[in-house]
Amino acid sequence: MNWSSFKYLARQGLHSLRANRLMTLASIGVLTACLILTGIAGLFGANINSLVAYLGDQNETVVYLDTELTDEQLAQVDETIRSMEGLASVTYMSKDAVLETYKGYMGEYADLWDGFEGSENPFMANYRVVLEDLADLDAKVAELEAIPGVTKVNPPTELAGVFLGVQKAVNIAAWSLVGVLVVVSVVVISNTIRLTVFSRRKEINIMKYVGATNGFIRLPFFVEGMTSGFISGCIASAAVLGGYALVLYFSQRLEGLWETVIGASLLSMGQVWYFVVGGFLLFGVLIGSLGTAVSVRKHLKV
Amino acid sequence: MIVFENVTKVYPGGNTALQDLSLHIHKGEFVFVLGHSGAGKSTFLKLILREEKATSGRVLVGGKDLTRLKEREVPYLRRNMGVVFQDFRLIPTMTAYENVAFAMRVTNIPEKKIRTRVPYVLKLVGLGEKMDCLPEHMSGGEQQRVALARALVHSPQLIIADEPTGNIDPELSLEMMELLSAINSVGITVVVVTHEHELARQFNKRVITIDHGHLVDDTDHGVGLHTDGDDEPVGEVRL
Repeated sequence: MNWSSFKYLARQGLHSLRANRLMTLASIGVLTACLILTGIAGLFGANINSLVAYLGDQNETVVYLDTELTDEQLAQVDETIRSMEGLASVTYMSKDAVLETYKGYMGEYADLWDGFEGSENPFMANYRVVLEDLADLDAKVAELEAIPGVTKVNPPTELAGVFLGVQKAVNIAAWSLVGVLVVVSVVVISNTIRLTVFSRRKEINIMKYVGATNGFIRLPFFVEGMTSGFISGCIASAAVLGGYALVLYFSQRLEGLWETVIGASLLSMGQVWYFVVGGFLLFGVLIGSLGTAVSVRKHLKV
Repeated sequence: MIVFENVTKVYPGGNTALQDLSLHIHKGEFVFVLGHSGAGKSTFLKLILREEKATSGRVLVGGKDLTRLKEREVPYLRRNMGVVFQDFRLIPTMTAYENVAFAMRVTNIPEKKIRTRVPYVLKLVGLGEKMDCLPEHMSGGEQQRVALARALVHSPQLIIADEPTGNIDPELSLEMMELLSAINSVGITVVVVTHEHELARQFNKRVITIDHGHLVDDTDHGVGLHTDGDDEPVGEVRL
């Protein structure tokens, strides 16, 4: 096929979009609706996952230190813990700091602790360690316990188990939903495209009779499907990201615990826009072009 | 030009459309293929266009054995013959010019040549003024002439007309047949498939009658323009 034929066929594909505008609108409408549904499910899943991950990140493992540690030994322990990988944060609580914390808990009865200052302080200095990934809990606990000077490690084992379970369930549910929606979309879109091609089977028939090769017939349909897919991807991206911007806007107006949890865990626009736009355009263009090309094949046997 | 050698066509359902049919249409002839509905005319046509393959026997067009022709070679066979259908089969979204030009574009002919050739052929069939009309804005006779122009644009050696007068009034039918006759007079083989005995009778041409898949009559009423070299490939004739 020469360049002028290619240009002509590509133009024909674009021309057909207008000439068969009703079927074009049907294709774009169905594809856009499917993309929006899939996008909403995907974003919902990703945000729930982020929320659970955020809550999980609030884990705190307490690492108790030997009361007899010298300053040099303490410095050694500090260096070892801070150089460990996979820790999101490390906070040192001296014996005095622990006492002050307890005094805080007692409120107006804080002076009851007055006799426990200095050498009488019964608390153990400790480190509050937050893990980057709760899945590493057992390994990290073992690593911390092995440090000389550490007497006891108190991990949030139950909490970790709950969060890991919830996170896994949310992941499976959300991505299964996305998977089902993708399959449903492919079926619905294929049928719409098949209908579009079926309505033009006579045209394909005529092309065959005047000696057009299969490639020559397919190319305009391919361009047409690709363009429909691209337009659908653009519309769906605008709709989903517009909706998500509204969600982000309203999430900033939440108060109290909701603000702390939802506000901190919602994925920002910067984290999601390229996934949405890229995914929609790629999916739209692929299914539009390939779906059309495959549907045309059935009518080429003349 | 067209040779059927003991051709039998049985469709998958078991329906025998053609039975041991043998005939020879020479280069430059004008032939009517007559038969009532269900006689096997459509199958005869489909075999020539290689839309269907013979169950047994051989079909040769321009020396090419169509029973051995590969799928990918079919478009190239069709480019060398012009077909006019009863229902015109014009692409509804294309103008008369575009419909005719399309047949040239499929063969990668340069735009420059298309721009000179298409108006010439459309003028030849009397549609010089209707080039920019869509089929829906043209009468049945005009649409049939666009279909004829499309069939002629490649200057083929063979024109096949399937019930060319089926959708147009008697006066225009005569006009169409005269046009086909004129085309034949420059050496192009014309095969008209029809069920109208009366139409065939008006022209003193060879009439092949098919009934229930059998050739029942083959009468030459006139002197056809038979030429030698029947096995030459289908190619271009100046028009």
